[in-house]
Amino acid sequence: MSHRKPPYHALKSKMKEAEALIHVLRTHQVDAIVGERHIMLVRLKQAEEKLKNSRDQLRALAARLQFLRENERAEIAREIHDEIGQALLSLQLGLSWIAAKVTPKQQPVQAKIRSLSALVTTIIRSVKRIAIALRPGALDELGLVKSLQSEAREFEGHTRIRCRFETNLGKARFDRLGSVAIFRIVQAALTNVARHAHASRVTIALMKRNNELMLTVNDNGKGITKKLINSKNSLGIIGMRERAIAFDGTLSLRGSKGKGTTLTVRIPLSRVLIG
Amino acid sequence: MKARGRERGRYTAAGGETYVFRLFVAGSESNSTQASGNLMRLCEEHLKGRYQIETVDVLKDAATAQKNNVLVTPTLILIKPHPKVTVLGNLSDTRQVFGALRLIGNGR
Repeated sequence: MSHRKPPYHALKSKMKEAEALIHVLRTHQVDAIVGERHIMLVRLKQAEEKLKNSRDQLRALAARLQFLRENERAEIAREIHDEIGQALLSLQLGLSWIAAKVTPKQQPVQAKIRSLSALVTTIIRSVKRIAIALRPGALDELGLVKSLQSEAREFEGHTRIRCRFETNLGKARFDRLGSVAIFRIVQAALTNVARHAHASRVTIALMKRNNELMLTVNDNGKGITKKLINSKNSLGIIGMRERAIAFDGTLSLRGSKGKGTTLTVRIPLSRVLIG
Repeated sequence: MKARGRERGRYTAAGGETYVFRLFVAGSESNSTQASGNLMRLCEEHLKGRYQIETVDVLKDAATAQKNNVLVTPTLILIKPHPKVTVLGNLSDTRQVFGALRLIGNGR
């Protein structure tokens, strides 16, 4: 039996049919594929759209909750600082007044006043620390760069992990919500370093690169694993990523076993800078 | 005899050639619904009174689809006038559909 090649025009027509098929599949114009035994419904586009919509909705909700949470924190911080702080200050002044009235003969009373006064001083310090943790006062007063410098110093003081802060944005003015987001990302990253990294050094860098703000937090610890990066239980990472996404940014994490972890956040400058 | 699941479209005898279409759809899936609407509009606007649409729902009648070598839905086959032409997709690109069905410059 002789093997005959199909005529050229038949091949050309088959090619055209194949191209048409690829085109409709690529442009999502197909809703069923007819097989020999089964008909397979194709609902990819609708499913993708639904997924994207629900993801967008969740992101919007997360951003809104973040915003409300920050506002609530600021409100509580103000109340603690103004109300409780002032009351404690009055209490301390009152104790000083009583101490002045007590005669040298009333030694036990004097000792009691001194211990109460010391206790009140400790409480005032705690209240201040709580208020600052809830809403870093420095952020409003000093701006993002100086607040991050102060955060780095405090972190080093508390954890004994050497912490360096670098920036080329000394005089930049940040949008208030943007500052809060970046500050909270750094706080969360440092918390992770302190809790999990077993590091002896960490470097925070806040840099302007072209039209992007680039934040990196790099440590020399044990290195985060891919499994942890992608785990749905890594709520700290999810929270940081959501904060970056709320400002059209991205967050990536890279871990190298025994060498450390690098967190990188990129946010368009236009979304966080005001001057 | 028509297979189950087919629906006969509008047909009115008029001057000129009658266009006979067979449209393969999958129930009321979005592309199928679009293709059906687009074809109906195209026929009403340009072939009024001389077209016939036979719709085959592959979910009810897979045999006819296989007999016609239909691989995906929506698929439109121009049965008459000859030669037979097949157009895939939701028929939203009117120019492409016109070209494929030889409806351009035929003195409609």
